[in-house]
Amino acid sequence: MSSKQRIEVRVNGTRYVREVEARLTLADFLRHELSLGGTHVGCEHGICGACTVLINDQSARSCLTLAVQADDCDITTVENLRNPETGALHPIQQSFVDAHGLQCGFCTPGFMMTTLELLRENPDPSDEQIKEALGGNLCRCTGYQSIMDSVRLAAQRMKSSTLG
Amino acid sequence: MAIEIHTLPEHMPNDALRYVGKPVNRVEDPALVSGTVQFIDNLSLPGMLHCAILRSPHPHARIVSVDVSAALAAEGVVAVISGEDVKRWCVPGFTAPEGWGNYCMAVDKVRFVGEPVAAVAATSRYLAEDALELLHIEYETLTPVCNPEQAMAPDAPVVFEERGTNVMLHRDYTWGEVDRVFAEADHIISRRFRWNRVGANPTETFGCICQWDLADNSLTCHGAYQTPRFMAIGRAASLQLPANRVRIVTHPQGGGFGGKGGPRGTDIAALLSRKSNGRPVKYIEDRMEYLLAGGGQSWDRYYDAALAVKADGTVTGFRVHLVDDQGAGAEGYGTISAAKPLAAFTGNYRIEAASYDLTLVATNRAPTYPYRGYGPPPHNLVLESLMDCTARELGMDPAELRRQNFIRPEQFPYTVPSGNEYDSGNYEAVLDRVLEIADYPALRARQAAARAEGRLVGIGVVGTVEPGVFDWNAYATVGVPGVGVPEGVKVALDVFGNVSVAVGFSLQGQGQFTVAAQVVADYLGVDMAQVKISTASSDVALPHFGQGGSRLGVAVTGAILGACEKLNAMFCKVVAHVMQAPEESIVLRNGRLYRVDAPEHGMSLAEIAGLMLSRSDLLPPGVEPCPEATYVWTSPNRNAPDDQGRCRSYLTAANATHVALVEIDRDTGRTHILDYCIVDDCGTRLNPANVEGQLQGGVAQGVGAALYEEYVYNDECQPLVSTFVDYLMPTIHEVPMTRKDHIVTPSPVSPLGAKGCGEGAMHTTPATILCAINDALAPLGKEILETPASPHRLWKLLHEDQAASA
Repeated sequence: MSSKQRIEVRVNGTRYVREVEARLTLADFLRHELSLGGTHVGCEHGICGACTVLINDQSARSCLTLAVQADDCDITTVENLRNPETGALHPIQQSFVDAHGLQCGFCTPGFMMTTLELLRENPDPSDEQIKEALGGNLCRCTGYQSIMDSVRLAAQRMKSSTLG
Repeated sequence: MAIEIHTLPEHMPNDALRYVGKPVNRVEDPALVSGTVQFIDNLSLPGMLHCAILRSPHPHARIVSVDVSAALAAEGVVAVISGEDVKRWCVPGFTAPEGWGNYCMAVDKVRFVGEPVAAVAATSRYLAEDALELLHIEYETLTPVCNPEQAMAPDAPVVFEERGTNVMLHRDYTWGEVDRVFAEADHIISRRFRWNRVGANPTETFGCICQWDLADNSLTCHGAYQTPRFMAIGRAASLQLPANRVRIVTHPQGGGFGGKGGPRGTDIAALLSRKSNGRPVKYIEDRMEYLLAGGGQSWDRYYDAALAVKADGTVTGFRVHLVDDQGAGAEGYGTISAAKPLAAFTGNYRIEAASYDLTLVATNRAPTYPYRGYGPPPHNLVLESLMDCTARELGMDPAELRRQNFIRPEQFPYTVPSGNEYDSGNYEAVLDRVLEIADYPALRARQAAARAEGRLVGIGVVGTVEPGVFDWNAYATVGVPGVGVPEGVKVALDVFGNVSVAVGFSLQGQGQFTVAAQVVADYLGVDMAQVKISTASSDVALPHFGQGGSRLGVAVTGAILGACEKLNAMFCKVVAHVMQAPEESIVLRNGRLYRVDAPEHGMSLAEIAGLMLSRSDLLPPGVEPCPEATYVWTSPNRNAPDDQGRCRSYLTAANATHVALVEIDRDTGRTHILDYCIVDDCGTRLNPANVEGQLQGGVAQGVGAALYEEYVYNDECQPLVSTFVDYLMPTIHEVPMTRKDHIVTPSPVSPLGAKGCGEGAMHTTPATILCAINDALAPLGKEILETPASPHRLWKLLHEDQAASA
């Protein structure tokens, strides 16, 4: 398995040009080639959602996406949420912290990336819309209640910061 | 010097506690939400190889030949191991019962689908998996032993030939006059139950990086280890290394729930490193491996149980006959989980006599491991379902039947027939409160209205005791002798007054680093931001166990209080010496040491630490220049069990009552949870947000076990579950957003009065849901006594009459 493809991707605003095997998953590419370890892998068959990233602003399972499929795409991962200069957390991150929306934290990047997409498209989601959006992400620790609280809090904070 | 461990937060030397008892944000979280935590698969070491494991496709087969030559010649492959290497270098990993266990990889024969048969180390995981396809294994299949009935048949094939039988353990416990209470009973309520296998399934699977130092003959294992020291001892035994030559570096874990496994993967990666001339070898278990044969399958149980009941509803006796299918081995302490119910066998009730006939059986299913709750979830489902059956037979309200049989507040400490002592509780207050927040009469009215419309709506009201703070003595009669479980910490101050705490465990999700920081900050009167909690590797850590048995929050609190008491005494001595005052006139209070008779004369912690580290000329004789203290905590007042397993085992007895309202969809068999309320009492809530998270997480796993999750095997012992498409994990749509409240009855015997609270909701939820389902089915005269009460099982039950008449 040595035939390699050249890809060009923009990850969190940085341009990367790499030669990759056609079978390399985007998750492995991000984690092991670009050392962006915040995108976690929980099942590698597209069910758990831990590996969720945004590809051209749409949430996607990086375990089911091949790196070559991301050629010429903009990819956003959890590493892009925090302010790189001040270290200040994104309102979604801070809301997960404040509402105790995580325990082990392994699934959390996937939940936060899904939440980011949700709140960009729908800044004021109802509980049912939150559940609909997060229904494809598994969390084994929290029982989801504090995640609901976190997303509600994030929506509220992002709305008021936009207004302000 | 006897150290007194405070049993209430207000006993700490601080007038205004800032952290303990408050839902403070977790110290773990900023890094976790940033994606910068070093979970094991985020670590790479120079020269590292990657392991892939070939697993058996057969449940039971003799290995005729293994040919690794083609794999060894493949691109990127550095080493291959198979049973031959394992036989040469290892001994089987035994846990309990004594003498039962298995090698990390099949030697001579395979005993379950998914058992490792060979493994490859290559320069990438992709290349390692490619090479697996070049391994040639010839098998001669053997008749599998698929269930306990087959296993115990006289002519059954034997899974472990050297044992000569498939019965791993049989114990028959009798506590009190069981025969008499059953003979004198007005009603005997008996049922058979089947609890099918479920499992932990943390979102992160197991992973490790092992490096065998061939010069030093030592092994370092980085990995997702729940109980580092225990793992080190086990590896020393199975890999035949001196225990002080095994170093475990535990990393933050993406959940555990008891079911992280690790021994097999660690041993295999270690042997590959040994065979690769000491290069580090990473093994990351994938989800299919985890679901097939990972360390998380639990409770494959067949129950036959009965209650003895007087005409007025007084329950006097409880008989349990359990056959537990352990699969092929005893490698992961899953076996002895059947003994945990001894710690709270008769639940919340004043049942005077009980018996427990317990048989552990080996079959060709995957070996069992611990899973959150470790035994009581099925046991409580049996007891609580029988309570509901009793209520129905006697025409009583199930909540009132329970109330009538509760242990009364004035009866604590209360010794249950199976020997454990419950420290404290007020079960009636918990019941009253949950019935109040659920508005129980309104729920019953809602049910009546729904029934009138022909809908299947049911209510479950279930209370359980959660044995908290595990102790080995609970398991002594099933093969793990010992009393006490050490948990050690070191608390150190620097010259700036910052506090460092070294513990022996890492993050797993429960928030113990936060609890540790809260307790040490409040005791020493410093800001939580000045506290840093770190994990020591197993070679330098104090004796510890880590997470397990609803214990660590309480245990680490006890260890920190003990270390702080020692620091307090030492600092008083130093300050007294410097101030030329009597030692007993110096106190620590609110972060400062001062003379009680002249409070303006005092020193800050930074001043004391600075003095101790840099002015040895001012130190009193006998005091070392070391502003640090260690303490290793274990539960006080534990004892060895008698021949019936009776002892003071788990230190604390939290309790909770759950109320569920469910509706079964007749057309689909699916159970919808319409309302769910919880009131619990786990004593002092060190961090109420953490407690609430533990409760809600336990509810989610309980919903999974009660309704969806199941490791299905066919009748040839082939597992039918290998992905999350087959093993149904509850999502946000299935888990109820619960309504919760609590009462607080501090433990009189535990550090700060806190009780273990990590497992209670898992102990209670499956029973609550099954009771609600059976309440819904009652008008049809039907019962389901098997878990999960999945849509297909309920649909078949609902439609069996039509099928029979068709």
